[in-house]
Amino acid sequence: MSQRTKDQNVFFVLILMLTFVLTACSGAAQPTSEPAATEATEALATEAPVQSGSLTVLEWAGYEIPEMWVDFGNTYPDANVTFNFGGSDPDIYGKVLAGSSEDIIHMYTPFLNFYVEEGLIQPLDTSKLTNWEKVPQGFKDACTIDGEVYCVPWDWGYSSILYRTDKIPEGVDSWEALMDAKYAGHISMWDDGPSAVSVGSYLKGYDETNLTDEQLEEIKQLWIEQRDKNLFYWVDEPALEEAISSGDVWVAYAWNGAFYRLLQAGVPVAYADPKEGRNSWIGQYAISTKAENYDLALAFLDSKLGEETATHLLVDYAYGHPIPEYFSVVEDPLLVQALSLDDPGILERTNFTVPISSANRDRFVEMWAEVKAAP
Amino acid sequence: MLKNRTIAWSLLTPSAAWLILFFVLPMIGMLILSLRPDMRGGPFQLGWLPTVKHYQNIITGEVYLPLLWLSIKVAFGVAMAATLLAYPLAYFLVFHAGRRSSFLLTLAILPFWTSYLLRIIAWKTMLGSNGLVNNLLIYLGLVEEPVRILLYSRLAVIVTLVYVWLPFVALPIFASLHRINPSFLEAAAILGASPWRSFFKVTLPLSLPGVIAGFFMVFIPTVGEYITPMLVGGTRSTLYGNIIELYFGDGANWPLGSAMSVVMLAGVLLLALVISRLVDLRRLVG
Repeated sequence: MSQRTKDQNVFFVLILMLTFVLTACSGAAQPTSEPAATEATEALATEAPVQSGSLTVLEWAGYEIPEMWVDFGNTYPDANVTFNFGGSDPDIYGKVLAGSSEDIIHMYTPFLNFYVEEGLIQPLDTSKLTNWEKVPQGFKDACTIDGEVYCVPWDWGYSSILYRTDKIPEGVDSWEALMDAKYAGHISMWDDGPSAVSVGSYLKGYDETNLTDEQLEEIKQLWIEQRDKNLFYWVDEPALEEAISSGDVWVAYAWNGAFYRLLQAGVPVAYADPKEGRNSWIGQYAISTKAENYDLALAFLDSKLGEETATHLLVDYAYGHPIPEYFSVVEDPLLVQALSLDDPGILERTNFTVPISSANRDRFVEMWAEVKAAP
Repeated sequence: MLKNRTIAWSLLTPSAAWLILFFVLPMIGMLILSLRPDMRGGPFQLGWLPTVKHYQNIITGEVYLPLLWLSIKVAFGVAMAATLLAYPLAYFLVFHAGRRSSFLLTLAILPFWTSYLLRIIAWKTMLGSNGLVNNLLIYLGLVEEPVRILLYSRLAVIVTLVYVWLPFVALPIFASLHRINPSFLEAAAILGASPWRSFFKVTLPLSLPGVIAGFFMVFIPTVGEYITPMLVGGTRSTLYGNIIELYFGDGANWPLGSAMSVVMLAGVLLLALVISRLVDLRRLVG
């Protein structure tokens, strides 16, 4: 093949790749094309002082669109908000640890304590948060370490057992289903040590915040025995959803987003309400110790609890928001089902993920490595 | 003389600087990190006491070294299979494809124009329960239920890796076969050697440097492989590289991950040393 045709081919492939990238971008950008609601939230607008300034947020891609902080945008139209991105909790934590200096950080419960231990975030003055009293206690507890509140809870969802109703007509009422020999070869656990420890603690009746080495060893054995019944440890949700819709996986540890999308796709699935309680994950916003404009950062956090922002989170992204009084905006019956909004007692029965210490996290991850690597 | 030296320096400096900056220094950093007790204070924290506890953990632990050994065996199998499959391919291209040989070689390496990840994900659509292979088997009436061994198994990992590496191995073998002086083969034929005999006495020994280069090009990176087991592997497909990834990623335990990497590096170097002793490279080339 001559050099010229080779070059032409390379050019063609480049064009093709560029096309893919562009289509992917336009796909991701679609939710933003919905016009940002223009009605200002009056409650916030009236009491907030006219303030400008700039804020930087270390964020996950998708949450930077104006709808996801519309209450803040309406109240502080002159404030300049810049977003930097991280791809995962370890990535974001690594960036902050290495000296990244954003004012606001978006992390998830299992990592909160790390930031506190390293002195990277500062306590919040909750008396200045106008929406704080609307937040249920479980969500407040997930932000509280040694009596200090370090974050504002925001996006959340459940972790529970997702199963195919046609393959398991008897239903699932316990985390035991992930260990059940009847479903061998059709089970999929999430590839995550701390979650495996949570499930193991529920099953053994242990306190997951205070596990002895012997108890952790028992949980490890539980998962080593589970391993040959487990088809694969899932890493990304699309792979799990594909395996569930193809019928390879009947029962899996899953988040409610997967449940919602499979419901939408018409796959016969249900989301268990296990007797040991569901698990859950909570996204949280905290203020860096390096933040220069603490008051404005606090106002940003407060506005995350505003109604209009909550509505967009619930309806556009199908994630939970901590304040129950906003749930009435959700009309889509599938979404009501996916978030269990029709079940007022569900939050009391849910085990909210508690912050864990870095020492415990190391133990849990090491346990999981030993499960996966066991001969 | 001086001029030669200037030329040598100007040729070597850019790549050497690059390697020192992005290979040697990070390696030293990893070595230092592996002696840290924990991640407290961030990656640039000073004032910690060096410890070998992570190495102790790896060496006395029940799982890490056996897993490394398993990964080495898997890598050896993959490299062996890829080399055995690539040799006939390269042989055909050099000796039988004639004028089309470079066109066919381009076809063979064509998949490299798309991303590695993309190709592995494509394998999933081929091997999955709803995949091409299973649908074909069901259509032909050979099986009734989808065969699940095709995906989520160590076999799937090996099959995928051999596919990915095959053209890589074919390249150095192709080059070494191409270099063989045809008059050697003619001489062998004139002296009455059968085609098989001339292959084993002339062609194969002369192409061995390419074979060995190809083999190691696959073997060494495959020992630390983690993406493929993650995407097409099942519960029992975890390799040593996956555990390193776990400690650097979700685990956020870089010191232990570094120590594991150093152990792997040492293991692979040791093996390469042993193999190069067993197979005297200089004799092969000379």
